[in-house]
Amino acid sequence: MDRSAAGRIDLYGLIGVETMTTWMRIVWTVVLPIISLLISVFFMGLSRKVIARIQRRYGPPLYQPVIDLVKLFTQHSNISHGMIFDMGLIIALAGSLVTLLFIPVGGIHPLSSSGDLLVLIYLMLISPIGMALSAGASGNPNASLGVSRKLTLALGYEVPFLLVLLAVMTQTGTTSLLSFVQGQSASLLSWGVFRFPLSAIAMFLILPVMLGIRPFDIAGAPQEISSGPQVEFGGKYLALATIDHGLHLFIVIALFVDLFLGGAANLGTFFLKMLGVFLIGVFIGAVYPRFRIDQALKYCWKWPTLFALLGLILVMVT
Amino acid sequence: MLVDRADIKKALKDPHKWGEKYSLWATYFCTGCGIMEIPPILTARWDAERFGVKPMATPRQSNLFLITGYVSIKTLKAIIISYEQMPDPKYAVAFGSCPIDGGLYHTSYNTVNHLDRYLPIDGWIAGCMPRPEAIFIAVTKLWKMIDGEMVDGYKRYKENIDYYRRNQERVLGKEFIDNIPTSVVVEP
Repeated sequence: MDRSAAGRIDLYGLIGVETMTTWMRIVWTVVLPIISLLISVFFMGLSRKVIARIQRRYGPPLYQPVIDLVKLFTQHSNISHGMIFDMGLIIALAGSLVTLLFIPVGGIHPLSSSGDLLVLIYLMLISPIGMALSAGASGNPNASLGVSRKLTLALGYEVPFLLVLLAVMTQTGTTSLLSFVQGQSASLLSWGVFRFPLSAIAMFLILPVMLGIRPFDIAGAPQEISSGPQVEFGGKYLALATIDHGLHLFIVIALFVDLFLGGAANLGTFFLKMLGVFLIGVFIGAVYPRFRIDQALKYCWKWPTLFALLGLILVMVT
Repeated sequence: MLVDRADIKKALKDPHKWGEKYSLWATYFCTGCGIMEIPPILTARWDAERFGVKPMATPRQSNLFLITGYVSIKTLKAIIISYEQMPDPKYAVAFGSCPIDGGLYHTSYNTVNHLDRYLPIDGWIAGCMPRPEAIFIAVTKLWKMIDGEMVDGYKRYKENIDYYRRNQERVLGKEFIDNIPTSVVVEP
């Protein structure tokens, strides 16, 4: 284990990067999931209200998701379909929570260390796999259809997503998301969106696909396959699945803000940036109908992949 | 005040009731008539979502069961299975004259004339067809009944399961009754 100039042991492999103390890391490991849960519930309520206003409806109150979650958690009967059904959901939720801790959220970075961008790529797959296990155990044909659609969609967006991350890692010469975020804090022009414009465009184009919101809510299409993987979830199970979905929204948007919008020094600015990205996604989703799965795959492998590839070439040449 | 969902004290006192009242997720069973009355209340004209009423894709996720139009013997099978899949507490509301007494089709050989002999119905909306606003009246009545703990359809179904099963067996046959997936009725 190498020692830094100050003589203290460099536990996290981040020499020269401003990090948190170990005690602060432990405290924020507990606090950050709670904050992100509140924020994602607020986002879900806001999206319902905004979509309602775009469709010229009055819409539910902002705290409607809280009412829904309270109802789901206090429902008398919760129908289970066996042990894998229960455990899959818990694996999904645990995967989301762990992924969350690896993402720097406005100066808070409980588990950041060197190479966390690589860890993130793997961790982000745990939650969908948990959901797939749970949905498969329910034995409903709609659930298996939803899972197969979800995995096909993942095949579509993983290609441009990995190309984008590759471009970012090549240019900055680091696999640490934290040092990358802190490198952007100098000025507006050092934001990722100005340093890798093509990669930013590619990531923005696959953002609705990764979030699973319309026009790419193919996996959980209520009208076609009865909400896909969630078809057999009710009561507490549906509540946990909703929370998992909310955390997933938070993770993907936070990753976008960290990579291309310069992160933030405090939580308030970070959440404002996240709100901006999320609202653009909601605006697009409110007016576009759903794609078919083959159209979505064609879309993912066409424009976002092209932009990501060009961005990678540009980074390698210059 | 009728809509008291912003009343934090009341919500904290009984969060279960608060959630049940203002988050009625509905499954619409529209095999007879009545499907025309549903889209206006979901969309911009009446917007049921402002009261938390939202259509759900499957019975597993919903707690309000809206049966619109006449019930034939064939659809009664699907209605029974769907009702039993819903988690407790669940509320069944029949919409239109036909589920009440057969309505226009009461002499038909394959129409079920009294739905409440086969399933516990918590509320009726009479009319042929009722206006879409009638669904809001039903929802507000349901709120009052939830407040007074008067909606006990799902409890009655469990207590009188023999009575309901006997009636179901008379029209649907023993083979169907034996093959119902017993996931909910036996649930503690």
